Amino acid sequence: MDKTTIICRCEEISYEEVEEVIEHGGRTFDDVKRLTRCGMGPCQAKICTGLVANIIHEHTALPLSEIPLQRMRMPLSPIKLEILATNSTAFSAVKSVLDEVEIEDGKVR
Amino acid sequence: METSYETIVIGGGVVGNGIAFHLSERYKEGVLVLDKKYPMSGTSGSTQAWVWVHNKTPSWYAEFNMYSAELYPYLSKKIGDVEYKRTGGLSPFFNESDREKAKQLAESYRKIGIKIKVLSREKVLEKEPFMNPEVAGATYSSIDGNVNPFRLIDMYMRASKKNGVHYSTYNKVTEIQKQDGKYIVVSDQATYVCKNLILAGGTWSRELGEMLGIKIPVNQLRGQILVSEPLKPFLNFTISGLRQANNGEVLMGYSMEQAGFNRATTLDVIQETANMAVRYVPALGKAKIVRAFSGIRAMPEDGFPILGKVPGFENLYVAATHSGVTLSPLIGTLITELILDGETSIPIDRYSLSRFG
Repeated sequence: MDKTTIICRCEEISYEEVEEVIEHGGRTFDDVKRLTRCGMGPCQAKICTGLVANIIHEHTALPLSEIPLQRMRMPLSPIKLEILATNSTAFSAVKSVLDEVEIEDGKVR
Repeated sequence: METSYETIVIGGGVVGNGIAFHLSERYKEGVLVLDKKYPMSGTSGSTQAWVWVHNKTPSWYAEFNMYSAELYPYLSKKIGDVEYKRTGGLSPFFNESDREKAKQLAESYRKIGIKIKVLSREKVLEKEPFMNPEVAGATYSSIDGNVNPFRLIDMYMRASKKNGVHYSTYNKVTEIQKQDGKYIVVSDQATYVCKNLILAGGTWSRELGEMLGIKIPVNQLRGQILVSEPLKPFLNFTISGLRQANNGEVLMGYSMEQAGFNRATTLDVIQETANMAVRYVPALGKAKIVRAFSGIRAMPEDGFPILGKVPGFENLYVAATHSGVTLSPLIGTLITELILDGETSIPIDRYSLSRFG
């Protein structure tokens, strides 16, 4: 692969950009992801995982078995927000910023 | 390898990096930042990164946040483009009964120089046309905004390195000793000696403190966030609950759970977050969600920053806080002043570790 080879097609991240992260001390796919957006696009790293692992391996001599996979997250394949919504208006873990403001005697507590 | 430093910062998150960068602007003596993994792998890399002020409470804490938000434009001039946008912040409410509370907030904060407008339904929809027409109103302040947390830390690190700061990553601190007026810091890779030691361990502050027999009461609080596919720019403001990033993605979420260091995402909170998002901006229902993530936030026991000298330990400093993104430029500035000048331009006594007894 030459320097301009595209590693992540979704976010158009090149070999060179991945290499730079490793030169700055990055050692995992997620380090590369956070610094370059490699793997953050619609396919969520389904194409670039192995390629990035190989680049890390080449530059650090870490065995491939010691290079952790990226953190996979829900929903794995893009899904419409309305499918996830349940139309409930009762919230427990999710807060409203304004609800957290407490007023006492006409003043902010 | 160099193992003797003037100052060591433990923790390369947004707080530790803010301190390292501000230190490096003023002194070129050896500064080392140690991170157990790679910066951004913890709290600082799993956040919506609002730079948020206007309805934090109480007023003295809001004021403290305001001073930090005011430093952002200057900071981005110094370290480079961190995608900081002072969009203005909008906190919607859906019950008319909340308007009185909103007005009282605005009135209280006018006195400390935080300008808050209480908007009518029509004004909210004029400002943010995609907001739910059922909204009753909103509080609004122009001081709020957001930043790209990855760019922020990357630029902090690049600027600090340029100024001579050393970084050692994937290098966990396992032991700290005080010896002959110096601190000995034992880590996975080496043993270091320094004069000044700064504990900026975020969610891990308690563990770091214990290495020196100090109690730093910081707990963990989990937040889960949903990320949409890139959408055309359609949200103008940072809404307390969601915001649109430069690349068009919408980040949604404002949840709090006690889950220790468990960074799982869970269907119940994902669903609640989806409900919040469609309630605020119904059109988001048609947007695709690409990813959910969760972050563990640092939450001091009383909710407020723990900053400054550690009582009884010469040249030992602590900086542990929630809202690290908002407060980073100010904390970096103040801790630098404390170390180099012995005093701070804004009093931080209130935030001393000593308040916990």
